[in-house]
Amino acid sequence: MASIINKKTLQHISELARIDLQEKEMDKLLGDLQKILDYFKELQELDTSKVKEELSLRTDLKLFRNDTERENTNQSKGKSSFPEVENNHLVIPPVFE
Amino acid sequence: MDNLTNLNISELHEGYKQKKFSAKEVIKNYLENIKEKDGVISAFLGVYEDLALKQAKEADELISAGKELKSLSGIPIAIKDNILVEGLPATASSKILKDYISAYDAGVVTKLKENGAVFIGRTNMDEFAMGSSTENSAVRLTRNPHDIERVPGGSSGGSAASVASNMTLGALGSDTGGSIRQPASFCGVVGLKPTYGAVSRSGLIAMASSLDQIGPFARNSEDAGEIFLAIQGKDELDNTSSNINYSKEDFFGNNLKSTKQLTIGLPDEYFADGTEKEVSLGIKTAIEKLKSLGINFKKVSLPHSKYALSTYYIIMPAEVSSNLARFDGIRYATKEHEILGKEKSSLLDVYLKERGRGFGVETKRRIILGTFVLSSGYYDAYYHKAQQVKALISQDFNNAFKEVDVILGPVTPTRAFKIGEKSSDPLSMYLSDIFTIPANMAGLPAISIPVKKYEIDGELPIGFHLVGKKFREADLINIGRYYEKI
Repeated sequence: MASIINKKTLQHISELARIDLQEKEMDKLLGDLQKILDYFKELQELDTSKVKEELSLRTDLKLFRNDTERENTNQSKGKSSFPEVENNHLVIPPVFE
Repeated sequence: MDNLTNLNISELHEGYKQKKFSAKEVIKNYLENIKEKDGVISAFLGVYEDLALKQAKEADELISAGKELKSLSGIPIAIKDNILVEGLPATASSKILKDYISAYDAGVVTKLKENGAVFIGRTNMDEFAMGSSTENSAVRLTRNPHDIERVPGGSSGGSAASVASNMTLGALGSDTGGSIRQPASFCGVVGLKPTYGAVSRSGLIAMASSLDQIGPFARNSEDAGEIFLAIQGKDELDNTSSNINYSKEDFFGNNLKSTKQLTIGLPDEYFADGTEKEVSLGIKTAIEKLKSLGINFKKVSLPHSKYALSTYYIIMPAEVSSNLARFDGIRYATKEHEILGKEKSSLLDVYLKERGRGFGVETKRRIILGTFVLSSGYYDAYYHKAQQVKALISQDFNNAFKEVDVILGPVTPTRAFKIGEKSSDPLSMYLSDIFTIPANMAGLPAISIPVKKYEIDGELPIGFHLVGKKFREADLINIGRYYEKI
């Protein structure tokens, strides 16, 4: 199995996950993750080369619903759980600095 | 009018019909219990006295109008705080959702309302249902009613503790790797995780969508079955939900004879070393009692069980990392972001800061672990491999169910542990779910039933675990019902 996580990888992953980690948090987390990933090594024992992966527990499902108009949730209630609304638009901080 | 909170659903309904007491009186009794006990137990995040009494009145009005009661009329149900009830907060015990008010009803809440249930309150949980002790709640610490120095289990710890201490008759929880059954076992109540697809997940704050399932807590199997029947069924808003046409007769008909015809399998792998002596003894007692009912037992093997924990801790965090991406510190939030917005931060800054401070330690750990196992270069080694092992775990059950109808084992390796005992070592906490995870992996129904009736302030409870065939919740409930009558 691939190499165990190091601090540089952890920094990269936390950026991908959009989580700002404090230095102290980072050290504890690194130790925890190393232990957890070490535990996963037991899976290497298993030869799964001929096993088909199981992505869904419900392979019997009809995946598409009929394309008909319907109303589910209340739009104004959706907006009310948003911090700032202007002219019926949701206001967010600038994407570009 | 004491002891009304000791009655089960059918006794309460009988009492309502005969006008021995009203739903209002019953709900008031429960509300008094909450006032008396929840200061110490802290099972609830919110109690809704006015709403509960209003819903109780609806049950009383049915009686005075001479109309039929609905299946849960006048029955108090507490709701885990990751299930949406329109107009009430739903925080999933996280700081990042502290200001969120549900915009709609979860599928199960709609069904509970249709069946006349009374919403008594929202219960505490591990943040976003991640944990086995409810210690990961960002709001408060819930205590085990049997020993307040111990955890109630988790993640549905508040729901389990509220039922165990008679603060509600029933509760809903959610179970992704054992989050209903493990706290049920620790608190000495019945907890049922239904078959994947039996109950709608619409309006459940998603953790790992391929494994999550909502289910009931109650003090006995019959009540758990009643609540399950009320919440199951197809929901257009959850495409994995199914229309099974469960029959009430199958659950509550006079069928000891058919229950006796079930064969229970005992997997060698669930009776290995490492289980606390008291737990092993408890399970043995339960097996002897079931044998005395005339139920047959047979040895089976689930050879890939030992890999379930690793598999789970790859698949679940992978789904967590994508499901929790929606909590960006802007959506579902209010006040915090307003301040940031005024500082003219960039959008990326808001994400990084808000998620960094809004999520707790365990939540961050799982998001990052999930992001790691899905990241380029690691996907095949972890996620792909785990999905293959998951298929092997399902296959084990398929093979076993050719010979037996139900599989029995312990729910957890230990009884309720001390507060703080495992909170700094995530791996030891994860091991708490080692016996419950396989049922989620295979999408099977499973239940925790107390080995005997545990009195509060007595010894620590132990539960035994039954796993059934897909959509055969009735087998589990019936074994429980007859077991409880011995």
